[in-house]
Amino acid sequence: MAKVAYYPGCALKDRSSHLDRSARDAAVRLGFELDELETWTCCGAVPPVSEERVMNLIASSRILKSVRDSGRDTLVTICDFCYNTLKRVNYRIRNDEVARRRVNSYLAEEAPQRDYIEKDDSPWNDYLGEVRVLHLMEYLRDVVGYDGIAKGVVRSFKGVRIAPYYGCVMLRPHKEIQLDNPENPSIIEGFVEALGAEVVRYPYRTECCGSYLSVSSPDTSTRLCYRILTSAQQHGAQAMVMSCPLCFHNLDTRQKAISEAYPDFRPIPVFYFSQLLSLALGVGVEDQGFEKHYVDVTPVLEMIRDGSGRVDTE
Amino acid sequence: MSDKPGLAPPKSPPVRLNRNTVSAGFKKRVNELSGENLDSCYQCGNCSSGCPLAQEMDILPNRVMRLAQLGLKDELIHSATIWICASCFQCTVRCPRGIDIQGVMDTLRQIAMEEGVDHFGPDQIDPEQAATVPQPGLVGVYRKLST
Repeated sequence: MAKVAYYPGCALKDRSSHLDRSARDAAVRLGFELDELETWTCCGAVPPVSEERVMNLIASSRILKSVRDSGRDTLVTICDFCYNTLKRVNYRIRNDEVARRRVNSYLAEEAPQRDYIEKDDSPWNDYLGEVRVLHLMEYLRDVVGYDGIAKGVVRSFKGVRIAPYYGCVMLRPHKEIQLDNPENPSIIEGFVEALGAEVVRYPYRTECCGSYLSVSSPDTSTRLCYRILTSAQQHGAQAMVMSCPLCFHNLDTRQKAISEAYPDFRPIPVFYFSQLLSLALGVGVEDQGFEKHYVDVTPVLEMIRDGSGRVDTE
Repeated sequence: MSDKPGLAPPKSPPVRLNRNTVSAGFKKRVNELSGENLDSCYQCGNCSSGCPLAQEMDILPNRVMRLAQLGLKDELIHSATIWICASCFQCTVRCPRGIDIQGVMDTLRQIAMEEGVDHFGPDQIDPEQAATVPQPGLVGVYRKLST
């Protein structure tokens, strides 16, 4: 089975472990393995903007260098924050010569103490940004292909109306991310269609959910999420799909606060793309971690049918 | 709680430019830290019209750019806007002059924190939130909004 280097990140090891698990299950059914890096650290969660703070590039650079040194050229990640950070740091290393020199001189200096990462005795090579950072969604689109997904689908999502939600860091800033059109993306739409479900198009799919403001000013995030969810519902959505752990938290768990603040609000089930994928590929419902969801997902599960056409909620 | 009325222009006192309000070297420092050129902003307002959080802000993003051009440091680092910005990059993507406006916001936060203006600390977090928010949210909020 083809192996691809995989960086899970902190959230997928803990609060969003169901994203990690369903992605691994789905990958196996599609014929590749998400091969977790042997050692990894936090990526930093947000990339540094300021030119002089080169220190904040170190953690991500170290991860990327360890991938390159192990002879691989591609790193797959799922969390949008990790994707954004790793990709932007890589971009900076490729294009900013001063930052590249400073980061590498630091990494070279710490290398002797970090022999658990630098296992081989090969001569020192500066990291020049050789690794390609891919979002799993991107890997599904470009390497597996939507046809490849459609071939493996054993459960039918026919008639289920699903609203893709992108959020911010998966697409932006476009200059550095280059995943899809930042204003009119289609990557999740294509994925939903590959599963056989109906795509719901609505105006708020790339609007911010409040991100980490959920922690510092929860009411703001509640307002933004209400706007996004009701917009999707008004366009007929029965479920939402996304890839970011923080968006998921804001759009799922926050529905409790939204229901309290807005009496007219009706809850809507929220899924990770990997959950829908692994469900479609035949992984059991009990392996999806639905107990971690705040909103009950049963109404959607009841619409999913297997080959014989009967309702499949087991 | 209800939605605040739309984009009513914030009622702020007229900007006064004199040696007490204009900070020498501020514009240059913002340019250096962010790697952008503030002077390339021509006040089209695209950033403010696309900002999902504009209705919560006391100074709209295009006005932030203008005040920064004029060197009005105190007004900016004591504004609510820089802490309300969620760094969603909508303004950056839409700027016709290619300015990374979110990067300028980040720079203003950094300068504010250097001056001892802090916004959010670990003691302010709601315990229920701390137990449920995924880690990128916690790391993000401390990295962006706290010293």
